[in-house]
Amino acid sequence: MHEMAIASEIVDCLLDIAGRYKAARIGEVEVEIGRMRQVVPEALEMAFSAAVVGTVAEGATLKLREIDVSAVCNDCGAAYSPDIDVSFMCPSCGHANPRITAGDDIVLRNITCDVDEEYRYEADPRD
Amino acid sequence: MKQIHVIESVLKAAETAAGENRRLLDQAGLLAINLMSAPGSGKTTLLENTIPALGPDCPCAVLVGDLQTTRDAERLGPLAVETVQINTGKGCHLTPGQVAEGLRRLDLSRFAFLFIENVGNMVCPAAFDLGEHLRVVLLSIPEGDDKVAKYPTLFQKADVVLLTKVDLLDILDFDVSRVRQDLSRLNTRAPFFEISSKRGDGMDRWLAWLNDRRQARSKASR
Repeated sequence: MHEMAIASEIVDCLLDIAGRYKAARIGEVEVEIGRMRQVVPEALEMAFSAAVVGTVAEGATLKLREIDVSAVCNDCGAAYSPDIDVSFMCPSCGHANPRITAGDDIVLRNITCDVDEEYRYEADPRD
Repeated sequence: MKQIHVIESVLKAAETAAGENRRLLDQAGLLAINLMSAPGSGKTTLLENTIPALGPDCPCAVLVGDLQTTRDAERLGPLAVETVQINTGKGCHLTPGQVAEGLRRLDLSRFAFLFIENVGNMVCPAAFDLGEHLRVVLLSIPEGDDKVAKYPTLFQKADVVLLTKVDLLDILDFDVSRVRQDLSRLNTRAPFFEISSKRGDGMDRWLAWLNDRRQARSKASR
């Protein structure tokens, strides 16, 4: 049940962004979840709805997209997409020694929010 | 409503903390090992037998993660040069931030090895890099020979897999070849050692692996 920890990381990121953009309310949040992270979407949604209470993200909806795992074999260099619930075997050499190249991250994508119209956004050097 | 496009890793804070831990550990020149397994598979007993066997030339520190109690730290305290108990409360895994706090309580330059005994859990600890150098995954005979296939991500991430409590092989139905077969699909990189902390089986191979990895590490950092 590491979903609670991940939900609070998402909320921390949201509050940081909301502060930067002077957002008064957050509507929808798109998050990509790599399958290597072993996240149960329903559990994350439930944890998220608890973690946003009392913040500008309260009531926000979470849109989750799961990202499949891609790998490169450390032994023969072949690129492949393992079915990680069953096997990490390289289809070309048969070894299970992958370097994961996608599907191992949790990324915040698009956010909709109400912003203060008086506020003119200036590019943040971090963006 | 305004739409904001961002590409921001939610795990950035955790990854930064893990990276900082790794930098401190590298600087101190010690080898940090994250032990992961189900509760009761023998992590603490393994350490109770490993630390004295490594000898006085290889002083060890231990960070122990548990939801509650200081029992593991009490067991390891007399053996390790220093032990720090981290209580995670309701947390099902150690976080890099908790490890960072533990590291602050240790004089890292004094140690050859740091063992991080994670919370007993076969799912969540696998998802969090703590800044360790190597990951050890334990599976004990009483847990059953089907567990490697049931927890593929944990076993995939292992740098070594230890089959523990092999002294129980005579009395429990456990097919070691099934474990080897499952590992061949998930992880052909990690060596696989059958050990019994209690009876001593396989401890020489495990200790030799630890010493090899430590030597490889100090060569690399020179």
